[in-house]
Amino acid sequence: MLLDEIKSVLSFAAFKPEADDASVSWSRRFEGRKTLLLNVGRNQTSWRGISKKGRFDDGGVMEGEFADIAPQRADEWRLLADGGWCVVSVNNRFIVSLENNMMRGENCVNLLRTNPRAVLGPKFDRGKRYAICHHPESSASMLLACEESMVKVTEDVLKTIGIRPGRVCCGLFALTEYAIHQLYVAQRGAVPANMILISACEGSIAVLVQQDGQWKELRCRSGLGPDAVETSLQIISPLVQKVPQGSPVYFVSDGQDAKFRSELFMHLERIGASDMTQEDLLWNIIGNH
Amino acid sequence: MTDYICHDFKTPRNDTSKRLPNSFKLVPLAFYLSLIGGAYFMTMDWLAYKRAQQDKITAEAVTKEHEKVTKEMMDEKAALDSETAKAENVAKWVEGARNLQPIIVSIARAMPAEVRLSDMTIERSEQVPSNLSLALRINGGSATEVGLIESSISRLNYRSYSPQQSKNGDIIEYRSTLVRQEQ
Repeated sequence: MLLDEIKSVLSFAAFKPEADDASVSWSRRFEGRKTLLLNVGRNQTSWRGISKKGRFDDGGVMEGEFADIAPQRADEWRLLADGGWCVVSVNNRFIVSLENNMMRGENCVNLLRTNPRAVLGPKFDRGKRYAICHHPESSASMLLACEESMVKVTEDVLKTIGIRPGRVCCGLFALTEYAIHQLYVAQRGAVPANMILISACEGSIAVLVQQDGQWKELRCRSGLGPDAVETSLQIISPLVQKVPQGSPVYFVSDGQDAKFRSELFMHLERIGASDMTQEDLLWNIIGNH
Repeated sequence: MTDYICHDFKTPRNDTSKRLPNSFKLVPLAFYLSLIGGAYFMTMDWLAYKRAQQDKITAEAVTKEHEKVTKEMMDEKAALDSETAKAENVAKWVEGARNLQPIIVSIARAMPAEVRLSDMTIERSEQVPSNLSLALRINGGSATEVGLIESSISRLNYRSYSPQQSKNGDIIEYRSTLVRQEQ
């Protein structure tokens, strides 16, 4: 034990962040190590490896329940991850809601993970896992609530095949969070007072409406499936009418549902939507940031 | 909202340890620096040791060469000293073999007709053969004759050393050691 500690100090490993330290980006945590990225949908799981140099390796897709897929792909996945560390993006059984006057602060995100009741107060539900994204200029926040049982089952399945989840996140929420960061921080001051942000990932959709610089409405549906373009449009249409005509509409989407994405964007293009999607965006968000 | 970090809601672990502060990186750095420094100094010392060994071998060879040359020089000097000693002996012999006849003739010629040399002896010194012990008796002479004798001797490059004269009636006894003067 003492020898291990001495070795970790001499190899500088003792100064590197823990593999599952959520306050540090994934790329910094696993610099020079291979890791595995998993994107778990309701009926489909896709995966991708990140090489030691931080480049995306070949991945794969498999139809079926995650609990059935994992044991079949265990050997392949273990080869893709040094130490078995992976990121898991779950894409069903969650809800994103709009909240106001939530607790903010440097430790808030960490507290939400360890003691969510302290952050959420009466809004806390025992069977949920939470993540939060604050509006940088107002008191509004987006709150993600994901089924705890599903997270635990996913983690247990991975543990049984020797894979260690270093991060469990929601693909749709990650895309939305990233798009907000891009709009409000990376392009500071360029965000119009009225706008709509539409995110879609693996058959789930979230629509955020900003009016007069305030987030006014957020609608989210998870597990719609890749064929639910019409349902998605029914969610989007009433919200589009709430902002003045000509207000920008941003669209961000990634995942294995390319058909759903292209069909949805075809409709959104008619109202002048601009696509913020980049190649491998989801993998980049969960595997680098 | 500064650098974007993706959210995470995985089950928190309880067995995580707090990371060491960055300032503690000095500990392994100092360790590696001491290793590198130690290796450097050991290498330099080893190279210096090897160089010193080489220098020692070279110095020993030079010393042997010098000793050999010194011995040759000493032998040569001993031979030269021996030759010098022989030459000095020869020189002494040459000095000792100088003719006495010119001295006798010169003294005899220096005496006036009315003065008579009743007795005269010239003996070589045993220790220094070139030195001559002169003893003579002058009948009817005076100190003038002694001066004449000394001047005649000096013309032959002899110097009168420790001359003694005594007068007993008409007889003057004169004793001196004649030392050859090198020109």
